[in-house]
Amino acid sequence: MIKMTKKDLDATKQKYAEADRNWIKVGFSTCGIAAGAKEVYDTLVEESRKHSADVEIKKCGCVGMCSAEPLVEVHVKNMPTVFYGKVDKEVATKIMEKHVCGKMLVNDKIYDLKLN
Amino acid sequence: MGKTVFIKDTAITGKDRTRDFYGVFLGTLREKGLENEVQLVRVADIGIYGQGMTVRVLPENFLYTNVQENDIPAIVQDSVVGGRPVEGKASAQPSKQLRIVLRNCGVIDPESIEDYIARDGYQALAKVLTEYTPEKVAQEIKNSGLRGRGGAGFPTGLKWDITRKAQGDQKYIICNGDEGDPGAYMDRSVLEGDPHSVIEGMTIGAYAIGASKGYFYIRAEYPLAIERIEKAMRQCHERGILGNGILGSSFNFDLEIRLGAGAFVCGEETALIASIEGKRGYPSPRPPFPSIKGLWGRPTCINNVETLANIPVIVMKGGAWFAGIGTETSKGTKVFAVTGKVKNSGLVEVPMGTAVEDVVYGICGGAMAGKNVKAIQTGGPSGGVIPKEFFQTKVDYESLQKMGSIMGSGGMIVMDEDDCMVDIAKFYLGFCVDESCGKCAPCRIGGTQMLKLLVKVTDGEGTQKDLDQLEQISFAMQKASLCGLGQTAPNPVLSTLHYYRAEYDAHVDKKKCPACKCAKLVRFMIMSEKCVKCGMCFKACPVGAISGNRESGYLIDQTKCIRCGQCFEVCKPRAISRG
Repeated sequence: MIKMTKKDLDATKQKYAEADRNWIKVGFSTCGIAAGAKEVYDTLVEESRKHSADVEIKKCGCVGMCSAEPLVEVHVKNMPTVFYGKVDKEVATKIMEKHVCGKMLVNDKIYDLKLN
Repeated sequence: MGKTVFIKDTAITGKDRTRDFYGVFLGTLREKGLENEVQLVRVADIGIYGQGMTVRVLPENFLYTNVQENDIPAIVQDSVVGGRPVEGKASAQPSKQLRIVLRNCGVIDPESIEDYIARDGYQALAKVLTEYTPEKVAQEIKNSGLRGRGGAGFPTGLKWDITRKAQGDQKYIICNGDEGDPGAYMDRSVLEGDPHSVIEGMTIGAYAIGASKGYFYIRAEYPLAIERIEKAMRQCHERGILGNGILGSSFNFDLEIRLGAGAFVCGEETALIASIEGKRGYPSPRPPFPSIKGLWGRPTCINNVETLANIPVIVMKGGAWFAGIGTETSKGTKVFAVTGKVKNSGLVEVPMGTAVEDVVYGICGGAMAGKNVKAIQTGGPSGGVIPKEFFQTKVDYESLQKMGSIMGSGGMIVMDEDDCMVDIAKFYLGFCVDESCGKCAPCRIGGTQMLKLLVKVTDGEGTQKDLDQLEQISFAMQKASLCGLGQTAPNPVLSTLHYYRAEYDAHVDKKKCPACKCAKLVRFMIMSEKCVKCGMCFKACPVGAISGNRESGYLIDQTKCIRCGQCFEVCKPRAISRG
């Protein structure tokens, strides 16, 4: 057990601050899991290994658009950060092949949410 | 960053023309030799509805709605190549969400405390412990104007202050996560998506009131929320954020989880306290209020999940900043769970004072294709309906109350023209009758009698006298019930009676259900002159009430028909009459 203080908080904050690197976030709340987020996550992880893609894949909470779950948010350097909605295995494969590796957005699946 | 162009046909009715438009746009790009430099993407949803073809040019975010084919060259020339908006054409994004409570939901990994700390997590707690006295914390929250998000809207700062001043050797803080309203799930989402923010808010609250012990009361139906809160608490213990000497200060605070067994009444604070004490979840009369005499007779502060998730942000940015958002009496934002017959159901966080229409049409896209929104229901079984004629109503505590509804925990159920208002009132009342704890007579007997009367009305056996009696019992329940459940249970009936009296009258006088929902008052018939004898209804009928063949046509046996309406839905030539 460690006793954190304000200093440790600041140090942790700096260490884990979002550096500009590629990431994928999969909505992993009850709504996402029920819609099939687990399969999507597994597919993404598998495909990223296959392509040795430079991308971090994370599980996150619900972003709010539950009707479009499973939602996958993709950030690739020098490309707009987008949400893909109603993602299944096939779309997850496309996201990895086309978006992350090919730097091309996938058609017909983007949900252009304006959250803030 | 290269240029990206999003296109989407946002027209609600008719064929989706996105693909045709995509071809034309791509052609224009090819003419200019830009097809390799610009990414043209068809999107599934562009966040705007019913405004024709919509084009968004990124990264500048120029937006064009109702775009015609002859507008394309100008958009390509000015925005894509020139990087400036087309004069007189660019429009602004109509309505916007503001995320305070949901700031981290979907952004961080809820199972990683480092992710939370990286987004300013526990900074507010550190600030409070090192720079603030408990009085100052309560004052800051008072300044913010934050009111309880569980429904009643009691000022949070005042509640903290009362509990702080109350005499007691031990004080408690409780997080009310017993979210029971049908259709509301924002608390679950916050607990699952950002558990640390609730823990931080609670710890700050505990410091303000002088509590050393806190309880999470979460319903057992939320296993994932419980799992994530447990994990978050463990991470806090390992790092000295919970326990003795929090963050190197002399403040001690610890948390425990109590599971609710799913009784709706346990969301009421006195019943909740009884439940934590291990007793049956019965409400008790107030005063004494829990702030003075609560859990095990000690001063206890009970806050809703959403309220607590607001706290860290208020501490970091200051009460004055929070007070600048919202309306005169309702500050900050509110999360709504928009569900029902709406295009995009989900969670929406908007500043208080946003119009209902901006939420229903602007953010959630209105009704499903081809239907019209009829009304919304807010506040769950304690609330009322707001017809679409009043959709300019602002969402804040007072405005909703004026409309005969309440803010409640933030459920917003959208109903379309196929929903019968008497049926809706029956549903909510039925819920309250099921969930009534049975302790006081007005709620126990009144609810059951009202439900009987409503069933009579929807069965076509009601009279005008029954409607009068419904009103009378409602007023008696409101006046005489012991707790909020009974006092507010008649609200859906009163509010639908007020706004949709004509529908009640049609049930009673004409024995007709205008929305064709009430099974006993509706009848399906095949109109032989329109029927093309395709047999779709024959296949769709789940009880075999349709007989006939493709030569002689089909007939519905009214004695077998269960009025499910499936034949009506599948009939292409609309040869089935309903009414």
